[in-house]
Amino acid sequence: MSHDVIMPALGMAQDSGLLVSWFKQSGDAVAIGDALFEVETDKATMEVEAQHAGFLTQVAAKSGDEVPVGQVIAVIAASQDAAVPIASVAEEQPPQFAAKEDALPEGQSIIMPALGMTQDTGLLVNWLKQPGDAVSADEVLFEVETDKSTMEVTAGVDGFVAALLAAAGEDVPVGHDVAIISSAKPETLMQRTRGDVPTPAAAPSLPATQSPVAPPPGDLKRTEKRQLQPKSSRILASPKTRRLAYERGLDLQKLVEAGHVQPYHVSDLAALQNISADTPVSIAAPALRRLTAKISAVPFGEIMSFVSEKSSGPTAGAVISGLAAGAWASGGSDLIVAYRHFSTTQLFSNPHGIGLGKALPDQANVEAQLLINDLRQSAISSIENCSDGLPTLTILSQGDQFSFTFECGAGQISADAALSFLTEFAGRMEQPLRHLL
Amino acid sequence: MREITLSTAVNEAIAEEMRRDETIFLIGEDVAEAGTPFKITSGLVEEFGTDRVIDTPIAEPGFMGIAVGAAMTGSRPIVDLMFGDFIFLIMDQLCNQAAKTHYMSGGKLNVPLVLRTNMGATRRSAAQHSQSLHAIVAHIPGLKVAMPSSALEAKGLLKTAIRDNNPVVIFEDKLMYQDKAEVPEGELLIPFGVANVKREGSDITLVGTSSMVQVAEKAAEILAAEGISAEVIDPRTIVPLDMDTINTSVRKTSRCIVIDEGHQSFGITSEIASRIMEQSFYHLDGPVIRMGAMDVPIPFSPALEDITVPTPEGVVAVARRLMAGEMINVS
Repeated sequence: MSHDVIMPALGMAQDSGLLVSWFKQSGDAVAIGDALFEVETDKATMEVEAQHAGFLTQVAAKSGDEVPVGQVIAVIAASQDAAVPIASVAEEQPPQFAAKEDALPEGQSIIMPALGMTQDTGLLVNWLKQPGDAVSADEVLFEVETDKSTMEVTAGVDGFVAALLAAAGEDVPVGHDVAIISSAKPETLMQRTRGDVPTPAAAPSLPATQSPVAPPPGDLKRTEKRQLQPKSSRILASPKTRRLAYERGLDLQKLVEAGHVQPYHVSDLAALQNISADTPVSIAAPALRRLTAKISAVPFGEIMSFVSEKSSGPTAGAVISGLAAGAWASGGSDLIVAYRHFSTTQLFSNPHGIGLGKALPDQANVEAQLLINDLRQSAISSIENCSDGLPTLTILSQGDQFSFTFECGAGQISADAALSFLTEFAGRMEQPLRHLL
Repeated sequence: MREITLSTAVNEAIAEEMRRDETIFLIGEDVAEAGTPFKITSGLVEEFGTDRVIDTPIAEPGFMGIAVGAAMTGSRPIVDLMFGDFIFLIMDQLCNQAAKTHYMSGGKLNVPLVLRTNMGATRRSAAQHSQSLHAIVAHIPGLKVAMPSSALEAKGLLKTAIRDNNPVVIFEDKLMYQDKAEVPEGELLIPFGVANVKREGSDITLVGTSSMVQVAEKAAEILAAEGISAEVIDPRTIVPLDMDTINTSVRKTSRCIVIDEGHQSFGITSEIASRIMEQSFYHLDGPVIRMGAMDVPIPFSPALEDITVPTPEGVVAVARRLMAGEMINVS
C-alpha cells in the first residue's frame, strides 16, 4: 500500500513551501515519525515527518524547489522496487548529454584567453562550473595555469553552461573554444575533451550564435585585467572626490586605467588632473605637410591674356581648378575645388580631371576637397599654417614667378601624394596649354 | 582667572541657584552631611537646611518619584543619582513620567527637574559602577541631556539646566571631579544646543563628549607634531545637539572621528556619525569613524579596563589611517 507524501499546508497565508533539504534519500526505509524533509515557511524552517512506514520512492522535488501546498513530492511505498525517480516538479526532463560528435549547442563561445606575451596555450586546471549550471558574468568559470600563476577566468556572460569543450588538465591554445554558455537553460548539454575532436577548429566556424568573446586588441596588460579578473562595475571613491571630479569635468575611470589603487580620495584628483591634461581633448595643431614650388608665371600669364580677349573664355578659376584636378590623383572621380579669389569663393567641379573646371552654382550642396587660394593680385607674400581643415593650395606672385604653397594635414594626404600633386600642378601651370587641350 | 575643580563648580552652581530661587531643592543619597561620596555638595545643607537638602534611603525609584511629583506641583528638584549606572532603577520615573508628562498633560504640567548623575570608567569601580549611559536617555523624547567636559561647562550647563522648565539629565565624569579649569566669577550660563570649538584645525574633525574632549585634545597635540591639523569640537549638550557647528567643521576638513565613552554600538557616536553622513555626505573624503567604549561590561581588572575606553593614542592611530585614505573597518 503506497502513500503519497505531499507538501503540507504550512500556514494560513501560504500556498507553497521552499523545500530546504531531504533527510531521506530515494530508496531509504522510513518509519512513522522519521523526519523526511525540511520546509522553509515565512516564519521558520519546519521538519515534516513521515506519516507512514515503508520506503521513500518517486522523489519528485529537490532541495531548493518551491512546491505548491498539496503537491505530491514522494511516495512511501511498501517495497523498494517502486523507487523510480520521476521528473522533478520544478523542471522538465533534466538535460541530456549529446554525443561528442554532435553539433555543438547554441550559445556564446568562451575561448582560452590570451594570458601573456609569450604564451600561446594555457593549461586548463579545472572547471568551477558543470554543464547545466547557471553562471553569471563575473563568476569564475575555470582556472588556467600560466607561466606565472593560476588565473581565474570569469564567464563574461550570464547564462547556463551548455558545453564544456576541454577537460581539466588539457592544454588549450589561446583563442580556441573551451565552453559554450547559452542564454537559456539548455536542453542538450555537451562535455568533451580536446582529445575527442581530432582536428579542433582554430576559429569558431561552429554553430555559435554570436562571435566568440575574444580579448580586445591592444596592450596585453589591459587584456589581462578585463579577462582574468571579476568585472568591477564600481569605482570606489569618497563622496567628496566624486563631487569634485564631476564639478571639474574629470573622469575617475582614467585613474583606474592609469593603475591608481582604489579607493580614490581628494588627493588623487591632482593626479587625475595631470592625466587629463596630458591627453588633450582636441588636437590643436595637427601635423601639417607643407610644400612649396616656384615656376615662371609667364606661360600662364600669356594664356590668360589670350583667353581674356575672348568674351566666352574660361575664367582663371576654371583653368586653375582644371589644372589642379588634372594633377590630383583622384582615381577618376570628380574633384570639387573651392577657388578663392578676391574674397569670393567659387566651387568648381572637375569630372575626370580633364579640361577646365565647371563652375558650380553657389547653392551646390557639395563639399570641396581642395581649396585654392588665388593670391596673385594680393599683397600677401607668404603664408604658413593658413588652411582651415581642407588641403589648401595657395598661389602667390613674386615678380614674374608664381609661388605655390600646398598645405594639408598629415592624415589627409600621404607624403607621396602631396609631392606628386604639387609637382604635377606646377608642371601644368608652366605648360597650361598642353594640359588643357 | 581663577581655577576651580569640577566639584567646586557644581557646588557653586547649585548654591547660587538655590539662593536665587527658593523652590529649588536637592534630593539624593548622602547629599546632606556627607556631601555625596564625591564631596560635591559639602556645605549646602549647612546653608539651606534639611528641608532643601534632603537625604534619602537607598531607594532610587522612590526618591525619583518624589522629585517628579514635586516638580509637577511647583518645586524645582535637583536629583543626585550617585552612580549613572543606577539610572536603570529610575527609568520609569524618568522616561515614562518625567519625560512625557508635559506632553501628555497637554502642556498643563511641567517637570522642571534636573537629574545630576555621573559616567566614566577607569576608576576601578567595575561593570555596575562605570557605565556611561547618556545614549539611553538621549533616545527618549522629552529629556534634555547635557555633558560637561570641564569645570566651566559643569557650572554653566548645570545652571542652565536648573532654570530649564523641562527635565534635564546632566552627566558629570566621575574621574574629573578634582580636575581644575578656569571658571569666571559671577553669573555663568551656557546655552543648550551650542557646541564649542575647543581647538581649530583643517585636516580632520574630532568630536568628543565629556572627558573624551580631553582625549581628543591630547590626540590633536600628537597629530599636530605629525603635521596633521585636527579640529576638536565639544557638543556640550547631546539633546539638543548642535549639528551646525559639527557640519561646518566637517565640511572644512572632510574627515571626522566621533569619540564618546558610551559603548561603541547603538550609541552617541552612531547618532552623530549618521547625522554627519546624512547632512555632509558630499563633503566627506572618508568614512566617519566612531570610537566608543568596547561592547563589553567594563572590566574590574585595571589592565583590561584601561583598554576598553578610547585613548589619545587610539584616536591618533585612527586619524593617521583616515588621512592616508585607508579602508578602515572599525565595526
